[in-house]
Amino acid sequence: MDFSLSEEQEKMKTAARDLLEKECTESVIRATIRREEGYSPEIWRRIAELGWLGKAFPEKYGGTGGNLIDLAVLFEEMGRAMYQSPFLSTAVLCGMTILNAGSEAKKDEYLPKIIKGDLKMALAVTEPQAVWDGKGWEPEGINLTARASGGNYVLNGVKAFVHDAHIADYLLVAARTRKVKNAAGGITLFLVEAKSRGISCTKLRTISGNNKQCEVKFEGVTVPASNILGGVNGGWAPLDKSIKTGVVLLCAEMVGAGQKVLEMTVDYAKTRIQFDMPIGLNQYVQEHCVRSLALVDTSRYITYQAAWLLSQDKDCDLEIAIAKAWTGEGNERINWYAHQVLAGVGSTEALGSLPIFSRFGNVSQFYLGSPEHYISKITDELEYIPAPERPVGPPIGLWDPQRHDLPSWDIWRDWFVKNS
Amino acid sequence: MEFGFTEEQEKLRKEIHEFFKTELPSDYGEAPVRQGADLEQWAQAFQTKAVARGYPSAGWPKKYGGLGFTSMEQAIVSEEMTAWGVAWPGSMGYNLVAPVIMAVGTEEQKERFVPPIARGEVFCFEAYTEPNAGSDEANIQLKAVKDGEYYLLNGQKTFISGARKPDWLFTLARTADTIPKHRGISLFMVGGSAPGISYRPLPTMSDSRQNEIFYDNVRVQKSDLIGEENRGFYAAMATFEFERASVGLDARRALRRLVDFCRREKKNGKRLIDDPEVRKMLAYMAMHEQAQWLVGWYSAWRRSQRQKLGPQPYDLSMFLRKDWLPHSSNALMNLFDMYGQLEYDSELAKYDGVIGRRWESSRIIHPAGTPEILKVVIANRGLGLPRIPRKFNATIAESLEQE
Repeated sequence: MDFSLSEEQEKMKTAARDLLEKECTESVIRATIRREEGYSPEIWRRIAELGWLGKAFPEKYGGTGGNLIDLAVLFEEMGRAMYQSPFLSTAVLCGMTILNAGSEAKKDEYLPKIIKGDLKMALAVTEPQAVWDGKGWEPEGINLTARASGGNYVLNGVKAFVHDAHIADYLLVAARTRKVKNAAGGITLFLVEAKSRGISCTKLRTISGNNKQCEVKFEGVTVPASNILGGVNGGWAPLDKSIKTGVVLLCAEMVGAGQKVLEMTVDYAKTRIQFDMPIGLNQYVQEHCVRSLALVDTSRYITYQAAWLLSQDKDCDLEIAIAKAWTGEGNERINWYAHQVLAGVGSTEALGSLPIFSRFGNVSQFYLGSPEHYISKITDELEYIPAPERPVGPPIGLWDPQRHDLPSWDIWRDWFVKNS
Repeated sequence: MEFGFTEEQEKLRKEIHEFFKTELPSDYGEAPVRQGADLEQWAQAFQTKAVARGYPSAGWPKKYGGLGFTSMEQAIVSEEMTAWGVAWPGSMGYNLVAPVIMAVGTEEQKERFVPPIARGEVFCFEAYTEPNAGSDEANIQLKAVKDGEYYLLNGQKTFISGARKPDWLFTLARTADTIPKHRGISLFMVGGSAPGISYRPLPTMSDSRQNEIFYDNVRVQKSDLIGEENRGFYAAMATFEFERASVGLDARRALRRLVDFCRREKKNGKRLIDDPEVRKMLAYMAMHEQAQWLVGWYSAWRRSQRQKLGPQPYDLSMFLRKDWLPHSSNALMNLFDMYGQLEYDSELAKYDGVIGRRWESSRIIHPAGTPEILKVVIANRGLGLPRIPRKFNATIAESLEQE
């Protein structure tokens, strides 16, 4: 057990923080949100040059082969800086799928460009009705059809809440190629050129502030069969893996944001004077700060544990589910406590960045699966947890096997009185 | 960032695991003690076996009879103990009294007190709390007045945990009327059967055994003053650090037992674990258990880094545990409805009456700090949030009377 970062990771963290603090001032972020692209291509170029995107990929394609912990550290810093970009969509959700399920040819074609920041991609999974039915991230929720036709497939259907579709060069689309009882066995992944005929992309208007979620309609969109990743009907496994990796990094981003919001809350409590005293003297205010601290720290440990297990290729569906449910709910609570402490200042767009954190937090709470979705997954995993182990020494009959648990205090009292 | 254990740590864990697995009887702790059964004798014998392995004093320096275990290794011992539901009768001595004596006692005191504690031959109570000095520990009033070669102790302690008559009372007493109050407190080892000492058991809501202790002109030798006169409060604070930091698998064991129950038991013909409300409850239990386990290990790791990183500014483990307690005990009660209140020996009792016991225990929220105090400590010392200096308290109290 080691809760520290390596020296290299500390250096990387500091460099990332310095860069983002300089580039992502509140006014830059606010301006970025209002841009049509919803992100800053200039900052994107900077981080690509610094090799951040390459941390997800082996050197063979131009990456630095960093591990998931390194990426988590970067995402924490990006969360802290409110930095929104196509990083998760492009490098993780789509890029890692290409890495894990693409042919060598595909990897050579796309990964170096992704690493350089020259390509942007968006993962299209969730469909309107499925999201409403609570199956958005489940195999059963994927019903956009892909029908074979010659050497191509024809896609028909609608995807909603697709991040970064409007700026993507390619969409990675999860489609259904056959109806089958085990729904996961009928899913195929297609790499689709975003400007293909038949695709219409509309940005969704939300209160979330991140200005990059889209509804994407597919009307008779033709895709060559050679653009399939993971084989026909073999799309769910690589997709699931990428989503899980994305979940862990999204949690890391929330941890970074939560830490910053905690700092803002404590700072305000110490400096805001009312009734001649800092409001932080008030124990109601202190309680919000303590609870936020507990949520940030526990979220951090849970998230990094999931990242470590995943990076070791260990089975960690339970830990990942706990990470997303706990951090998603926790982050929302941290923002809520901050609003209570910062009050008027906290909800006024002109007076600080809490509204931005608050809005972004709402996105992260539900993207890649809501807390409710993961709470159900946790119990699925608990089904297989073994009962507590029993000792095997010879029984000695001191305990009444018809009953259980601790001795009643009468017995202790009698013993005590007898021996006083 | 690493969340596994080294080969050595795994080897150590396996050793301790096997010890408990084979030495504990197969009917261990799964029932209340039979009437007339001498549990104490068995517990003593078992502790002696563990003492031979060195586990109770594992964290002590080798020269005092310990194994010199690091805080990580101690955490592994603690995990395995709680995984099997084991608690040493002499734990107060091992974890609180002897370490303080080793830290601030004279060589003579170390030789006199530490070995018998190590061997599990003597039992100690931590006698700090008084009727007017609970959260406000510095307000203790039990007086220790110098009288030649002795101190004369007069006063009362209350809520003192312990289920058998102790050999030693690790007592905080006031040796000077100072302002601030905590600068006039000293630590004494007082004989548990010394003339003038009397006990009154305090029944609590659960099986946790607490006592009132009366000191009536109790004579204590000067050589039983531990550490410097008037510096006792600081030594006592160090013991709070021990108390509040813990790694334990008792929550995990309880969770597994509950999950197992929910897999086997049915309501309305359906397995409990298939009921949506129960699933949600179990998921929250699992999340909180995971959070607490990780926080406990963070503290153990942080203690191991003390040289490099300094003292830990705050510890969340006890706060998290106590904060979750009312929710989890209420959730269990909801699961069992009216069955939850049944005593273990009721014919209708389900889950062996554990739910009611756990509900009762959850009400005993004060030992080692109420949740409110824990939050205040984290807020002030951990986050640097302001507090009114104690010297103004008397003035504030006066102004309240005037209103």
